[in-house]
Formats: sequence, structure tokens, C-alpha cells
Amino acid sequence: MRLLIAKYRHVFNVGLQSNIVYRWNFAMRAAYSLIHLAFVFILWSAAYRGETTIGGFSLHQTLTYFISLLVLQFFIGAFNEDYEISEEIRSGLINQFLTKPINYFMYRFTIFVSARLVSGLLALVPLILALPLLSEYLTFPPELWRLTLGLPAAIMSALIQFTIAYIFGMLTFWFLEIQSFVILSMTIETLLGGQVFPLDLLPTVIYRISQFLPYYYQMYFPAAIFTGRIDYDSAVQGLGIQAFWVLALLGLANLLWRKGLEEHTAVGG
Amino acid sequence: MLHYLKIWLASVRYSLVRSMMFRGDFIMWSMVEFFWMGVNVAAIAVIYQHTDSIAGWSQFEMLLLVGTSMLIQRLLMGLFWSNLFEMGRNIRTGNFDFFLAQPGHPLFMVSTRKIDLDSLLNVTIALAIVLFSVKKLGISPSWADISVYVVFLGCGLVSSYAMVLLLASVSFWTIGTKGVESGYFTIYEFSRLPKQAFSGVANIIFVWILPAVVISNAPARALISGFSIPDTVWLLTSTFIWLSLGIAVFQAGLRRYSSASS
Repeated sequence: MRLLIAKYRHVFNVGLQSNIVYRWNFAMRAAYSLIHLAFVFILWSAAYRGETTIGGFSLHQTLTYFISLLVLQFFIGAFNEDYEISEEIRSGLINQFLTKPINYFMYRFTIFVSARLVSGLLALVPLILALPLLSEYLTFPPELWRLTLGLPAAIMSALIQFTIAYIFGMLTFWFLEIQSFVILSMTIETLLGGQVFPLDLLPTVIYRISQFLPYYYQMYFPAAIFTGRIDYDSAVQGLGIQAFWVLALLGLANLLWRKGLEEHTAVGG
Repeated sequence: MLHYLKIWLASVRYSLVRSMMFRGDFIMWSMVEFFWMGVNVAAIAVIYQHTDSIAGWSQFEMLLLVGTSMLIQRLLMGLFWSNLFEMGRNIRTGNFDFFLAQPGHPLFMVSTRKIDLDSLLNVTIALAIVLFSVKKLGISPSWADISVYVVFLGCGLVSSYAMVLLLASVSFWTIGTKGVESGYFTIYEFSRLPKQAFSGVANIIFVWILPAVVISNAPARALISGFSIPDTVWLLTSTFIWLSLGIAVFQAGLRRYSSASS
């Protein structure tokens, strides 16, 4: 066990260093996200003109939801892991993992964790700078359970995000180009993950259906727990469904990896 | 002029053949764009379940605005986007040399090398959204209003082109081109909002300085409430300034370009 931890600790350290190299990319991305946040503020402020609540929530609660979403995105969202994995398969870089006592999924996941640590902390910089402007809009519910249930939900969301990206990467075993698949899926994730509007604003039936899909647990679920958009019972029930999706996606990822390797030809040079 | 039309038609033929060679790709990318438009329409449908107006715009006025914004964006994507996007890469690799040796002005050659049929296909969907909104609003614009709308769309397309040209031309001075894509999409997002929603600093930046809000609001307003002189002046001035700026930066970059050695 100690050996196992030591092994992936090295991967984590390498991941940390290589991601710090891309600090300006992350900073730029964070800056663009802040401009997007301005778009969200303008749109929702205009929608709330003449309404005190929308879907039972005030303007400040809705804006807090979007700000939380932004922070979560930099800490748990998958960025370009799918393309990186795809590139490693296409270029034959994965061959080196096939002959070494290292699990490719664990290796990539460790890199993902280190990358999100860097991007998350970097994204906090512009947010903290903008805090004097944002603070008047922030309103979080006081219950402590939101933190104790929200954190495991966020961790499982990260697992779901990463595993979906990993699964798309695996498609490279069968398809030459995965970009269109990724972007197509991204549109569905954007909508059903609650990035365009909080999912609870959907008509009741569609909202209920969305709760059984993995997208709900990618981003909306932890954000909704933290910002008070769902109650205790829904949060507990949601954690169960989320755990199911984590396992199901991990199973699928493993299956694709094994089937993919059967297709894979390592050409030596 | 005829000479340039012939060159452009040759590019169109080339793009058509290429799309048909990669049919699977063509279908996938058409779906991608279709889905993105679906996301925007769904957003309006959901928000208007809970409110009657966004900054004084009703649901179908808003849909008309978003449809107009999509129409301009699809045209830009179909006609110019990948050309300008690749320009940055070509400058870095030195492949830009080939454009200088081609039988036309470099700006024309880099801007029109190929067209993306998937985006142009989705122009029809954006147009359908606009027509649907017009029908739902119960307005019957005159031929004059429609002509103004089309001219305004053209101005929007030219302004968007100029903005992307400007962003892509920065590659003459820098190495990276990553900012082009994110820069454009981040700014263009604001074209889906009504002018009346803006105030303070955001109003100055997105409404008056950048060609974001004006390019969709002016044509949409022309269809809804007819021709307006202030809107016309506003849009024409903005288009003129941005196009001049885009071309000036491109020309300055061109003078600086010294190819790349291998």
C-alpha cells in the first residue's frame, strides 16, 4: 500500500510541476470565465426585473449559484483530459504503461487531481480580486450538513467528470478523431449539467428525469447543495444515485480500456 | 471583380468536394452546431417559464434576437472562421508564404480559402428560428424592413469578421493563437442580450465599444419596430470603424511578416 501511494505521489508531483507551466493558460481561462460571469449577471439581473423570485430563489441566490459553479469548474471540471488521453493513444505513448506496473486510469486520474489543484487555486486569484464587487451578491445557507454532504458530492462529481473524459479518450481506439464527439457531448453536459440555468427551473417532469442522468451529478448537484437549491432528503437520495453513476462509468471505462487494448497495435521503433 | 468571384467559386468547389469526402465528419459537425443552437433556444424557453420579460423584451422578441445573433455567427463560421483561425497557425509555420504567392490580395486569399458547409447548413436553422419568431410575434415586416434587416445582417457579419481578423492578426506579433477562439466567443456571447439589459461600465464596453450588442440588436429591432435612424448610424459607424481597424492591423502585420525558417 505504501509503495502504491509512493508511486502515485511521484506522478502527482510531476503533474503539479507540468501544470504550473500552463499557469498563464489557466489564468487566461479564469479571466474569460469572469467575463462570462458578467454575461450571466447581466442576463439574470434583467430577467429578475419586476420579479422578486424566480423558481423560489432570489437574484442573489441565483448569482451565488453561478459563482459557485465557476469555482467548482476550476476545481473539479475536466478540461482537455479527453484530448490528452486521445493523443497518448494515437501517438503510442500508452505503450510504455502496458509494460510497467502502473494503472493507466490511476495515472491519468492522479495527473487530473494535480492539474485541478493548480487550476482551482489559480482561478481563485481573479475571483478574490473581484470579491469586493461580488461579495454583495453572495448568500450561502447556514446549515452545516451542506458542507458535509456537499464535499463528497463534489469529489464524486470530479470522478464522474474525469471518467467521462477518459471514456471519450478511449474512443480513439476505434475512431481517428474524437473532437466532434466531445463537443457534441459538451452541449448536452452544458445544458443538463446546469451551466446555462439552474436545473430546478426546468419543468418538473424534465427536472425529475434529469436527476437520473449522470449530467445532473457533474456540476449542478454539488453546487445546488452548497447554495441551498436542494433540501436534505434530495441531497441524500442524490448521493446514492451519484455513487451508482460513479461505479457505472468506472465499469464502462474499464471495459473500453480492455476492449480497446485488444484493438490496439503497438508499433515499435 | 469577376476574377475574385472565379477564385472564390473555385474555393467553394474545393470545399464541397472535401466535405463530401469526409461525410461522417460533416454530419457530426452539423449536429454539433445544431445542438449548440438548441442550448440557446432551451435557455430562453426555460427562463420565460418564470418571467414575462428580459429588459423589456418578450419571449419571442428575445428568440428573434438570439436567432439573429446565431444567423450572423453561422455565416461567419461558414464563410470565414476556419480561414482566419488557421491564419495564425500558418504565420507561425511559414505556410503563410503560399497565400502571398496566390493570384489575389493576401487578405482576400486568407479569408476565403474554404467554406464550412456544416455551418452554412445551420444558417437555414437559424433563419427558421427568426421566421418562427416573426410569425409568433404577429408582425408583418414590409419589404423595406426586410431589406434593412438583410443589410444590417451584412454589417453584423462584416463587424464580426473584422473582430476575428483583428484577433487573428495579433499572431504576426505573438506566437500563440489560443486567444482568438476564446476571445471571440466570450465577446460574441453578449450579442444574445438586449441593449436595455446593460448599464454602467458593461454598457460602455459591450454596447458602445465592442461590436457585440449592436450587431444583433439593430437588425432585430428593425424587424420588430421598423427602420430607425439612430440604430442605422450606430451600426454603420461601428462597422466602418471595426473593419478599418481590422484591415489596418492586418496590413501592419503583413508588413512585419518575414516568413519562418524550417
